[in-house]
Amino acid sequence: MVNKKIIKVLMFIVFLFVLLIGHLTYFIVFKKDEVSQNSHNKRLWAYEEDIVRGEIADRNGIVLAFSKEGERIYNYNSLYCHVIGYNSKIYGKTNIESKFNSLLLGRGGLTEVFNLSGDGKVGYDLTLTIDHRLQHYAYGRLGNANGSIVAINPQTGEVLALVSKPDFDPSNAVLIKKWTELTENSNSPLLARATSGLYPPGSTFKIITSAAAIEKGMDNDMYSDTGSVIIGNTAFYNYGKKANGEIDFKKAFALSSNFAFCSMGAALTSPTLRDMAQRFGFDKTFDFDIDFSKSAFAAKDTDEAGSAALAIGQGETLATPLQMALTACAVANDGVIMKPYIVQKATNKNGNLVYEKKPQQLYKPITSEVSEKIKDLMVETVKTGTGKNAGIRNISVAGKTGTAENELLGKENNKEHAWFVGFAPADDSQIVVAVMLEYSGGSGGELCAPIARDIINTYLKK
Amino acid sequence: MKATLVKKPIGMLVLINLLAFLLLFFYRKPHNLQILYVGGSIMVLNVITYSVIVFLKLGDEYLFLIASMLITVGVVMLCRLNYTLGIAQVGWYLASLGVFYVTYIAYRYINFWSNLKWLYFALSVALYILTLTVGVTINGAKNWIVVGGHSFQPVEVIKVLFIFFLAARLTGNNKKILNLPENYATAFFAFIFIAFLLFQREWGIMLLFFFCYITLIYIYDSNKLFVALNVLVCTVVGVAGALTMHHIAVRIHTWKNPWSDISNTGYQITQSLFAIAAGGFFGTGIGMGRPDFIPEAHSDFIFSAICEEMGVFGGVAVILLYLIFIYRGIKIVLTLPKGFDKCAALGITIMFAFQTFIIIGGVIKLIPLTGITLPFISSGGSSLVSSFISLGVLQAMSARGNEHGK
Repeated sequence: MVNKKIIKVLMFIVFLFVLLIGHLTYFIVFKKDEVSQNSHNKRLWAYEEDIVRGEIADRNGIVLAFSKEGERIYNYNSLYCHVIGYNSKIYGKTNIESKFNSLLLGRGGLTEVFNLSGDGKVGYDLTLTIDHRLQHYAYGRLGNANGSIVAINPQTGEVLALVSKPDFDPSNAVLIKKWTELTENSNSPLLARATSGLYPPGSTFKIITSAAAIEKGMDNDMYSDTGSVIIGNTAFYNYGKKANGEIDFKKAFALSSNFAFCSMGAALTSPTLRDMAQRFGFDKTFDFDIDFSKSAFAAKDTDEAGSAALAIGQGETLATPLQMALTACAVANDGVIMKPYIVQKATNKNGNLVYEKKPQQLYKPITSEVSEKIKDLMVETVKTGTGKNAGIRNISVAGKTGTAENELLGKENNKEHAWFVGFAPADDSQIVVAVMLEYSGGSGGELCAPIARDIINTYLKK
Repeated sequence: MKATLVKKPIGMLVLINLLAFLLLFFYRKPHNLQILYVGGSIMVLNVITYSVIVFLKLGDEYLFLIASMLITVGVVMLCRLNYTLGIAQVGWYLASLGVFYVTYIAYRYINFWSNLKWLYFALSVALYILTLTVGVTINGAKNWIVVGGHSFQPVEVIKVLFIFFLAARLTGNNKKILNLPENYATAFFAFIFIAFLLFQREWGIMLLFFFCYITLIYIYDSNKLFVALNVLVCTVVGVAGALTMHHIAVRIHTWKNPWSDISNTGYQITQSLFAIAAGGFFGTGIGMGRPDFIPEAHSDFIFSAICEEMGVFGGVAVILLYLIFIYRGIKIVLTLPKGFDKCAALGITIMFAFQTFIIIGGVIKLIPLTGITLPFISSGGSSLVSSFISLGVLQAMSARGNEHGK
């Protein structure tokens, strides 16, 4: 009797000990990462104090960031604040400095298993896909306007330039001095507009609407554009209420006719548009080298008038400049969106490769036939339509303009966002550019197309 | 021949001693020869004691093997944290081995231990009163006595006395006290043991005594109602404590959400979790982590330091060593005839089990944290001596069990 009870007690003790082991395992599998990243964990900084943080260079080896005597030095001040980010003991880390922290400290990567000696006094160096020359040019070209420029190689997904303004100096000393100002500034200089700014895409969304229309066989339709159209109980106007007369699908796109696209949207309905937008990456996320916001298509299905608004990039839809650049990438690259990336490789001090990113497909929203058709529309836009300012002699440029109404509509005049997305050369695209100027008040064709043209020109001339 | 030596547990133990201390010696520059002396001493003490147990047939050989492995792990960690702690621990290990042999001989050849229950009780009360009057407060608990520059914890001795007292009460003939039924009288005295701990704020040991007492009466008292009543009383006391005593309430709150106040009440447990997370499954390697960030890393939190540098796999190995130790203990208990010996051996074994569970469960945040040492591993003379008294008793009983079996 006593022995039986003793065995029961033993079983209970075994149960308690299994509980200990189970809890430890659970902790390591599910909680480890969250706990180790807690800012109160002194280990985060303790490891780093002994290690010279790796350098960050552009695709041609120009050093952008390095460490000296424990200080992180950014050679180009604010130019890369929204790409490389900052590395501060007080305010933490952002962007590349955060996502690639382990590699910059010489941990992780391919050699981790073999690196048992603990000889990790020097971190790994990162090479970016960014072209410093182009980044610098784009930065200057954007001037003092609030907005962003994204440039991507559509064939590989390499990000060539990524500029957001306003910006800030990411060095630790400046952060300490200006942190309150930076966080309270109503212009939000800490917001990386290119990747995390969400805006109505306006007429640049017509690329996606066209894709849906082509798939439905609506690309042979003709429109008698009177400058305005009433759908449901809502009136829609062309930009400047201009009447375009008798136009076909191609002209409707090139002239950015809201008359035609609102009618198209009403016929396509919101579920079809949503499906197409999601194929291009709306409402989806992926692992990218820096943090970014998910672009969102209107969540609720809507009536004819609502669908008409969505077809011209108004309504509830919000997109980042990055998302609109990726949208153009699909057209430029036979219907395939390559996964964008900023860090191409990491090497140790002996020059051995410890991390490498290979181009890979992200989405394939449309067939190459559909992408060819849209490309024609976009080439026509730059040749004869709203995107004329993006034209370059001897190079075939494709593009789409956008002028997006926003929350200030009806409150303040001339506060529309201006957009341009495009690529060149059209038959073998080397570069996709998205330019966005927030609350600029002008049209995408006037304000953004020339910027895109100059960037394409700078890049292709090299 | 060599191959078989390595296959034997003692061979593995020697191998681990060699590897661990050589590693410790080489990783730190300038090289500290004292680390090699510590490692050598541990190894010699382990091998000699093991040989004595085997060749003089002192009963079960695995109990000591496991204990010496745990001590090795502890001393390696202590040397790594601060080698003076490691050296001190080896000194205590030597003293404890002396106590171990004395206990063994005393228990093996003297048979009146079941008659001394009132001595155990009186001695415990005396030690309690001594602690409360001349004791000093270290780390929030007034449970230390300083004699000639050395501080020790009387409660570590009381732990053994408590088990002996209960074993004597539960298995012997008891005279009526105040007309109470026998088991109620036992309960009364058990709660006196526990009540003193309340004044010392020794929540960990209190919990441990509760567990041991309930388990023993569950096994030895056939009156289910009485057992249930005791569980009820313990629960009510526990809940009332949590509701009325600020100290306990804080601990429970901290257990539920240590992250809300990391720099104050949650400091210890979060530092412990940071360490375990830093180690992952495989650990950073000895000398490569930062267990110096863990408060009390040498005593209550030594398990977290082990997890950081030897990994959760190392931690699980330690847990399994305790489990085998407890299994061996229970096995000895089962061979013993009904009576005082059996009950005392059982009490000692489950006390090891619950103590291990309470402190490891505490530092990994499975249960609220209560400060208590990890047997054989934590730094400190009182704890080590107490553990070896218990081990000596178990060892003697295993020898008796063998005789009984023949």
